[in-house]
Amino acid sequence: MKYYYTLLILILTFLTSCKDVLEPKPVDLLTDELVLKSAVDVPLVRIGLYSAFRGMMSSVVIAGDFTADHIKHNGTFASYQEFGNKQITSTNSDVATFWGALYRTVYIANFILERLPAVTGVTSDARKQLTAEARFFRGLAEFYGVYTYGDIPLLTTTDQATNRNVTRTAKATVLTALLADLNAALADLPDDSSTGAAYLSKRVTQAALARYYLYQKNWSQAENYASLVINSGKFTLVPDYTTIVNQNFPAESILEVGYTLNDDPATLNTLFVGRREVIPSNQLVINLNSTESGTRVATISFDATKQQGNDNGWTVRKYGTALENNANIVVFRLAEMYLIRAEARAQQGKLTGATGAVADLGVLRTRAKGIAVTATSQADILLAVERERQYELAFEGHRWYDLVRTGRAQAVMSAFSPNWNSRYELWPIPQSEILNNPSLQGAQNPGY
Amino acid sequence: MRNFYRVISWSALLIMLPGYLLAQAQRITGRVTSAQDGQTLPGVNVVVKGTTIGATTDANGNYSIVVPGPGAVLVLTSIGLNSQEVPVNNRTVVNIVMQEAINELTQVVVTGYNTTQRKDITGSIASVSPDRFKNIPVTGVDQALQGQAAGVLVQQSSGTPGGGLMVRIRGNTSISAGNRPLYIVDGIQVQNSALTSGYGGQNDNALALLNPGDIESIQVLKDASAKAIYGSRAANGVVLITTKRGKANQKTNITADVQRGMTDLVKRPNLLNASQLLDLQREAVINAGQDPDKLGLIKGVTDGINTNWLDMVLRKGVYQQYQVSAQGGNERTRFYISGNYRDEQGVLINNGFQRMSGTMTIDHNATSKLSFGTNMTVTRSLNSRVLGDNALNGVYSGAVASLPYYSPYNEQGQLYGPSDPNYPGFPNFNPVAEALLPRQQVLTIKMLGGVYAEYEFLQNLRFRSKASVDYNNITENLFYPSTTSTGGAIPSLGQQGYGEYNTNLAATFTSTNTITYNTLINEKHRLSALGGVEIMKQTNRTSFVDGKNFPRDEFTYITSAQVVDAGSSYLVNNGLFSGFGEVKYDYKEKYLVTATGRYDGSSRFGQNRQFGFFPSGSVAWRLSEEEFLSKYSFLSDLKLRASYGFTGNEQIGNFLYLGTWGATSYSGSSGLGPSRLSNPNLQWERTREANVGLDASFFNGRLNATVEVYDNLTDKLLFNQPIPLTSGFGSFQGNVGKMSNRGIELTLSSVNIDQKGLRWSTDLNLSRNENKVVELVSDQPIYAGFQASGTPGTNIVLPGQPLGSYWGLKFLGVDPGTGNAIYDDKNGDGRITPDDAQLIGNAQPKLYGGLTNRFTYKGFELSVFFQFSYGNRVVNLTKQGLVNSGSSILTNQSTDALKRWQKEGDITSVPRYIYQNTYNDYFSSRFVEDGSYLRLKNVSLGYNLPKIWVNKVKLANVRIYTSATNLWTYTKYSGSDPEVSAIDGSTAGQGIDLNTLPQVKNMMAGLTVTF
Repeated sequence: MKYYYTLLILILTFLTSCKDVLEPKPVDLLTDELVLKSAVDVPLVRIGLYSAFRGMMSSVVIAGDFTADHIKHNGTFASYQEFGNKQITSTNSDVATFWGALYRTVYIANFILERLPAVTGVTSDARKQLTAEARFFRGLAEFYGVYTYGDIPLLTTTDQATNRNVTRTAKATVLTALLADLNAALADLPDDSSTGAAYLSKRVTQAALARYYLYQKNWSQAENYASLVINSGKFTLVPDYTTIVNQNFPAESILEVGYTLNDDPATLNTLFVGRREVIPSNQLVINLNSTESGTRVATISFDATKQQGNDNGWTVRKYGTALENNANIVVFRLAEMYLIRAEARAQQGKLTGATGAVADLGVLRTRAKGIAVTATSQADILLAVERERQYELAFEGHRWYDLVRTGRAQAVMSAFSPNWNSRYELWPIPQSEILNNPSLQGAQNPGY
Repeated sequence: MRNFYRVISWSALLIMLPGYLLAQAQRITGRVTSAQDGQTLPGVNVVVKGTTIGATTDANGNYSIVVPGPGAVLVLTSIGLNSQEVPVNNRTVVNIVMQEAINELTQVVVTGYNTTQRKDITGSIASVSPDRFKNIPVTGVDQALQGQAAGVLVQQSSGTPGGGLMVRIRGNTSISAGNRPLYIVDGIQVQNSALTSGYGGQNDNALALLNPGDIESIQVLKDASAKAIYGSRAANGVVLITTKRGKANQKTNITADVQRGMTDLVKRPNLLNASQLLDLQREAVINAGQDPDKLGLIKGVTDGINTNWLDMVLRKGVYQQYQVSAQGGNERTRFYISGNYRDEQGVLINNGFQRMSGTMTIDHNATSKLSFGTNMTVTRSLNSRVLGDNALNGVYSGAVASLPYYSPYNEQGQLYGPSDPNYPGFPNFNPVAEALLPRQQVLTIKMLGGVYAEYEFLQNLRFRSKASVDYNNITENLFYPSTTSTGGAIPSLGQQGYGEYNTNLAATFTSTNTITYNTLINEKHRLSALGGVEIMKQTNRTSFVDGKNFPRDEFTYITSAQVVDAGSSYLVNNGLFSGFGEVKYDYKEKYLVTATGRYDGSSRFGQNRQFGFFPSGSVAWRLSEEEFLSKYSFLSDLKLRASYGFTGNEQIGNFLYLGTWGATSYSGSSGLGPSRLSNPNLQWERTREANVGLDASFFNGRLNATVEVYDNLTDKLLFNQPIPLTSGFGSFQGNVGKMSNRGIELTLSSVNIDQKGLRWSTDLNLSRNENKVVELVSDQPIYAGFQASGTPGTNIVLPGQPLGSYWGLKFLGVDPGTGNAIYDDKNGDGRITPDDAQLIGNAQPKLYGGLTNRFTYKGFELSVFFQFSYGNRVVNLTKQGLVNSGSSILTNQSTDALKRWQKEGDITSVPRYIYQNTYNDYFSSRFVEDGSYLRLKNVSLGYNLPKIWVNKVKLANVRIYTSATNLWTYTKYSGSDPEVSAIDGSTAGQGIDLNTLPQVKNMMAGLTVTF
């Protein structure tokens, strides 16, 4: 009989509980139902929100600079070839990447706005701040969205059924909604970020509003908000432009998305330096080497050994690696505020003098050791602002948006590329999106 | 589980009943000998017919058995011998002579958790005996299956030693879940996938860790009836491997086997030399209206160096393998011990695969009712890898593409590094340096072992419990000095040397408990039943650490790295909890019925679909047992069988059904971000399988034929379906889509001549499988393979079409007037764009198979094995780079480029070369070629030294042999080898040759000595 006992013991030993086998616990994942149920998750989900927004910024640089006259294709990837040749299609993978990152940010913001009110044990300050941050990022994401794609779906829920079958909302409606978000954020965010330029504050919101009103051609508000930021005294222009090219968090950074060694995907560094998939266009190289541009030529560098055939030998330097402590992407910095104010003042006819456009441009020229601004007429000063924005903000995701909003895109871009077409003033809606979302069928941007 | 306890207590009661069966007992003794040579036969099973009384012959062939009465009939069975029934007829000494079996009808076949005789099989099972591949230097069991069984398609991805293979049993069932068969070794599921990843498309292979020399038999389960016992893991077929064990009452055999040989590439690509290339490039530049001198293409200067890069990275590899084994046993204890060492040098410099393995198996009968045993295999392999084809800095791909204008070494004899001004820049890397300088080693320790105990409670009621483990410890040890592309040319990796140390511990624990019962009622109704419970738990523990900025290239371990900024550890478990059963019944061995089923619970699926039932049923009719066929004496066996049932596929990642958030970070702080949407209804893919087969055996088994047809439909395909990004997510893991596989298989084996010592036998298998994607989530195509100019993907998954379909422009020829390519403007818009792409071929063969002829004469053995694939097409992306029409002057070109269009009126299929013009090099049907091939896979000649000589030196047998593998290939394919896959293991992206290392041929000699 002892064998039976032995066998029984054997069986019992082997038959560990069914639950143990069939429901192993994931070690690195938390199920949906458990997230943001208690106060401990609040700071964690907040980081998730910042991280999602950060994921969008490399796309902003690609849209702002690659769509415009700043680059030349020098690699093997079809997506960048399309940008280089100005033959952008709705199947371009970067077009879908931007769209995805935009709505991922919106998703997390909406998730927070839906869940946070029910979480107990959160201080009212923390609750107010995270709510404001969620609204700010949702608003800013939508701001980039409307100026990239035109009318876009406006989402206010995390409900899957709703969000998978949603139509485009008129650009004006989205702009109204996102202005409400930015204003709400302005009310509730702390005056200054205690944790540096990587995090939001009232100042960041003011900078965003300055840009918002500039794009709306509301010159006085644009000037007003830009002045608020400049006069806050919290940000100072660094004396040497190379600091901006080579370092994270220079003193003039208002908002900068932060990468560290552990999470740097080196997206832009790989494109610009690792693979040299895109290189600066010949026109940009000439402009940055001009006496107006001055030290801002540090944005790019030259290597004679690389110069052959199509390759002009120049390399974009603004995005280094985390190892070089230079992987961050700037969203707002003080120089842009001077440029916004200069443009807003010029448009209002405030051309010279201490509160004139030329003075603001002069601040940046002086820093860059460029020659002084000689323009006097309003039109010439506005063109000087356009050039100044190119010198100062090249590869920070502005050029294409600037040309389109000032109505200069057609003139500048047709001269740059024979393939340019007015349809490229907006990106296409990603083809995959039109296929997968029934409400978007037939709703492509004109010309694509 | 309650049933188990009930059965056990029942058994306890029943066992105490008196053994009245032995009332009129009578003892019979005798000796069993072989008809062929008169030698005594140990280990033959002797059973009294209609009862379960049995005995086994001892080392001298003697047996002793108690029979119930004088009219009893003895049934003698043994592997490799014809079963025989001998009436006792009042004798007390019954000596019996047994015939060696020619056919396999009476052979015992392992069928999952049970065994049966081949004639009683009602499902579809192909057996591959190790005799078939003993002369072929196969690394693993998957390679051994190539061309050996109908319905089993094996394609080696490249000539990389220890590299990956694609094995498909009856077609591809899935788009995104795994298509690999389930491999069961002695009852335990073993790792069957790549061990590591990231070598430019060419993976390694966990099955290369199992020594084929220890295999006793392989069964391939192909239809629902045979597979359903493996339930949710069985849809892709099951390969059952039984390893060698000791035999009872056997004199101890010690066998030593030595193999040594050389390997070489089957065929090299024909490339241009420096001056040919320079002429071509100058012509291309001039055609583009530019000055070649300005681009540095100067005659007499640029071609001053002429390097044959293939010579620089290729060599003849040395192959060697040594094996010693001992096998034996007495009545109570049996053992098998073996040791194996294999060393395979790659044909690429610095590439090689070494394996050491040891096996020990012991079985012991403690009492007449209790037996137990263990098997234990430990393997250590060291794979010295080089980067594969899908990488700009790959070794073979680099050598094919590199410009002959440059030399790998500078004047001081040092290798050029990536940023050297005297070496071309990106995308050119010195392939010699990329081969020699990095350390890319994968060290794997595998332990495969199990213990079992078996107890016979009642006559023929057996309980068996087995616990097994497959334990793989993989250590990947990488270092790229600053003189290589990875360590020196990528800014984000620091450019001062880069090291990685990765570990992976992949373990599978299995506990199986089965109870079997069989009985014969009224000598007509035979019933056997099996029930079991199995628990399987898999654990993966992984970790890695990266190091950057090494002070010097001599310091190659991460301990010296200045920056150690990335590291991780991870643990993931998954499990399967199952109950299964099988009932077989036959009436007079004429009408046979089998019902099989498995109930699986898997941790990989949603709460609502965690459990699934996989039933199957089959019937067979042995017509040859019918009276009306008995007059046809040439017919030895004729069986018609049919089966129907369901199997599943659960090869997807873990936790995919959960909606989850994972760790994320921002500016140095950590947080949580959403990872995936939940799907509580996520379940396995389900395959409905129907099979009809006919087994016929003629002339006492000298001619055997099997014909089978099947129709399988897989639905609920595991698919990561794309969803609108406005949802916040890109995709959703669901079950959508259907896939169909239909086919026909023929297996023939015959002994053509068997007289005067000459024996000629032939084995042939032919298979045809028609694969079709029946339904997808939408009509939108899914692209796979490579992105290439002119198409979003070389491969496409499209409803109504088979997997592995190619998508691109249709090439209509070269315009004799302009020399430009002419493409089919499919949409008629007057432009050639990717919208004109269309279906331009398919990777799956229309017919494939193998043919083996074996001749033996007086100790000589000659075996000639052909293997073929017909009707498959190959995407020759190598050619898109090597006959690139001038789109780039950064790579070398093939001699095919010499046939290019040069002047008006030239009739050719190679377009004009124009510098930087990609139009003539668009991906089109120009690069899709017929990949059919017939390959002389192996020829081997062996000689068994005459026994008289051998016995003088006290040896049992001495055999010398030579063997040549991949000696000759007939194909129209213009590349080096049609049997390659640039994306090893890919289903949707199969059939692409992109600078992939071709197969190697192996010429070796061997010696086997048995003591």
